[in-house]
Amino acid sequence: MDEYIVEMSHISKSFPGVQALKDVSFQLKPGEVLALLGENGAGKSTLMKVLSGVYTKDEGEIKVFGQIVEDITPKKAQELGIAIIHQELNLCPHLSVAENIFLGREKTHSCILKDSEMNDEARNILKRLNVNIDPEAIVGELPVSQQQLVEIAKALSINAKVLIMDEPTSALASEEIEDLFGIIRKLKKEGCGIVYISHRLEELQYIADRVIIMRDGRYITSMDFKDTTMSEIISYMVGREIEDRFPRIDCERGKKIFEVQNLNAGRLVRNINLEIYEGEIVGIAGLMGAGRTETTRAIFGADPKESGRIFVDGKEVIINSPRDAIRSGIVLVPEDRRRDGLCVKLSVRENIALPNLDILCKDFGIVNRKKEYEMAEDTVRNLSIKLPSIEVDAASLSGGNQQKVVVGKWLARNSRIVIFDEPTRGIDVAAKVEIYNLMNDLKRQGIGVLFVSSEMPEIMGISDRIIVMCDGRITGELYSGEATENLIMEYATKFESKLTQKQAV
Amino acid sequence: MENSKKMNLWERLISIRGMGQVLTGTIGLIALCLLFSFLNPSFYSARNIGNLLRQIAPILIIGIGQGYVLITGNIDLSIGSVVGMSTMISATLMTKGMDPWIAVLVTLISCLGVGVLNGALVAKCKLPPFIATLGTMTVARGIAQIVNNNYNTDAIGEAAQGFRDFFYYGSVAGVYNTIWIALAIFLVFNFILSRTRTGRYIYAVGSNIEAAKLSGVNTDMTVIIAYVISSFCAAVVGLITCATAGMGTMDAGTMYEMYAVAAAVIGGISTLGGQGILLGTVVGAAIWGVLQNGLQFAGAPVAIRNIVIGTIVVVSVLLDVVIRTGRPRKKVLEDKTIPIQKAS
Repeated sequence: MDEYIVEMSHISKSFPGVQALKDVSFQLKPGEVLALLGENGAGKSTLMKVLSGVYTKDEGEIKVFGQIVEDITPKKAQELGIAIIHQELNLCPHLSVAENIFLGREKTHSCILKDSEMNDEARNILKRLNVNIDPEAIVGELPVSQQQLVEIAKALSINAKVLIMDEPTSALASEEIEDLFGIIRKLKKEGCGIVYISHRLEELQYIADRVIIMRDGRYITSMDFKDTTMSEIISYMVGREIEDRFPRIDCERGKKIFEVQNLNAGRLVRNINLEIYEGEIVGIAGLMGAGRTETTRAIFGADPKESGRIFVDGKEVIINSPRDAIRSGIVLVPEDRRRDGLCVKLSVRENIALPNLDILCKDFGIVNRKKEYEMAEDTVRNLSIKLPSIEVDAASLSGGNQQKVVVGKWLARNSRIVIFDEPTRGIDVAAKVEIYNLMNDLKRQGIGVLFVSSEMPEIMGISDRIIVMCDGRITGELYSGEATENLIMEYATKFESKLTQKQAV
Repeated sequence: MENSKKMNLWERLISIRGMGQVLTGTIGLIALCLLFSFLNPSFYSARNIGNLLRQIAPILIIGIGQGYVLITGNIDLSIGSVVGMSTMISATLMTKGMDPWIAVLVTLISCLGVGVLNGALVAKCKLPPFIATLGTMTVARGIAQIVNNNYNTDAIGEAAQGFRDFFYYGSVAGVYNTIWIALAIFLVFNFILSRTRTGRYIYAVGSNIEAAKLSGVNTDMTVIIAYVISSFCAAVVGLITCATAGMGTMDAGTMYEMYAVAAAVIGGISTLGGQGILLGTVVGAAIWGVLQNGLQFAGAPVAIRNIVIGTIVVVSVLLDVVIRTGRPRKKVLEDKTIPIQKAS
């Protein structure tokens, strides 16, 4: 029995109205990487929050290093050597890197903070992680990927024996992911037990030893990673077979409906030319920081542009604000749904109505309640959004359903072009397929679809044409038949060499 | 370590977080002083400087209290009423013949009670700080009125002369005691905020309360401490007010909560929490005092003074917002170039 460092048995936990965990058991051995898998809302994060003391369990027993532990608090979990890296970044943006790493366990000398000592120690931890971050830098001024590494450093600084990572790679670029995997392997050798939660199943082959699969708050199965296949894992997660992870429909390519000429906006949007035809989905691929999001924002008028012309159905449109874009039939489903896509404190109905109030309003700006309800109900039905009622707060929905609301609010009006920025980030396999089907529906209706994605299989599986960006420029264009991962990567890393830049100057 | 050796004094100064706004404020302060000395040659007279500093002192003290609360991301509207409560309780007790120092002790304890209540309402009961302290503001003003049956008190009398000297009239080394008190409060609370664990938690709570909680910080207690400090500062100002007037007036400290917000935000403390240093509050309070004093000297009526000071508050916060919203956007773009540098 004592080969396990963590044993959770028959854990149940309910929130008002929801049974989040039902009789779940979970074991972790030292020196293994355990992938905890399941769809959104399966209870993975909840289970790990119980283990790390964020939530208290209703029933069940937790043993850490063979000892029964009651009443875990975040502080007690830290003392036991359990560290968790939460899905949402949990750092204080105004404090420095070192201050964040030592938050809650500052080193003091008769009440006075020993800052230089903490800075030095933070520097050592960061060095151990092989990352070059100044411990005195302010966290809020670091890019998200580096903030993620600070989270990891913070977890390691307590000498964690149990390390829980909840979607640690969602903010990292591929190079940084490799570094992270290196760190994971190193910790594994040192005898750490690592729980790894991720929707990116492709990553598992590099690190996972064992998988535990959960569904609807229950434990489903556990198996050694090498004895299983992806499709088996997915069918356990979803509870049914998904025949096609990337459904594709074929449409006749029609007339040109959208064109961007010589778009410039800052150093990450340089001389962009692109066109979209009826009946096609165009994907934009590229590395983090290639300027993909910036391009979509510039087209949508969310950021100011320096130059460029935009045509919809052959007619030039002037776009200086998102308002102009929406009027011209261009809509954007943004990347960060909680920040840019939803008013989380408003109801689902209000969220869906928000961009469509021009349609919904009668004279004098009075909202037509009846139409509003119809629109919200229709959207919920068409997109099969799972919710108790359209009056619940958007915040209360799961990630996949939130994303559907963000998409749905735009589909409620007739648009010509729908731009998606990372439409499937952080949502589960089944919900992803539903989003793809939605995009396919648009394509069938002759609406132009432009979508940005960092996931190669997705971009190759769904788009008819792929535009690759690097360093603010379009460096390649491929049709779905000719695209390979290598080819896309090659274009995506086609940086201008410093030499030619100098010559240009 | 090597880094800090390489930096010269100036670089080290501006590398302190929040120093940017303090320096901007200082420049503004110097400009105002120059302007008023031009308008009024006796601006720099020792007498006027002494008076000026004595005007600034109470604003600085309540600004420090409000600063603590603002940095945790909350607000304390009860400050002005606590000033009134402190004045009325201490004056009433002294006119009833209580020993002044025992009266001071009783006053401090009752005022700290308001701070504990504020903190508990905000941290434990999760009330919005604006509403919670709006309530205690009204209650505390009510207490100020009720302690002497809805009358201002009589003069606190001969026995309280020591008390009056200590808080207002006396001086040490040629400097009024009030100024020494403000200086001591500044030094102590600046030390706590910048060098101790409690101070670090105050920033952490204002920056991201969830992250602080998950890191094992007792966030409820941190918020309560900030409110208690705020009430303490207000109580001290109430005692100074009582010592100055030699009696208790029921409407003492009216609007002080707003003056405190003004001193804090002019000095660069963010009303959104997590940002700012108390040195800024010193500059903020000084700008406030110089404006009051200078405009008074220049013969501007109260109405004009109010308009000018109100405008300055809005403009200084506006400047801050412009600088901050201008900055992050640029930052993001710069940051995203990092992988590019790696590749080349």
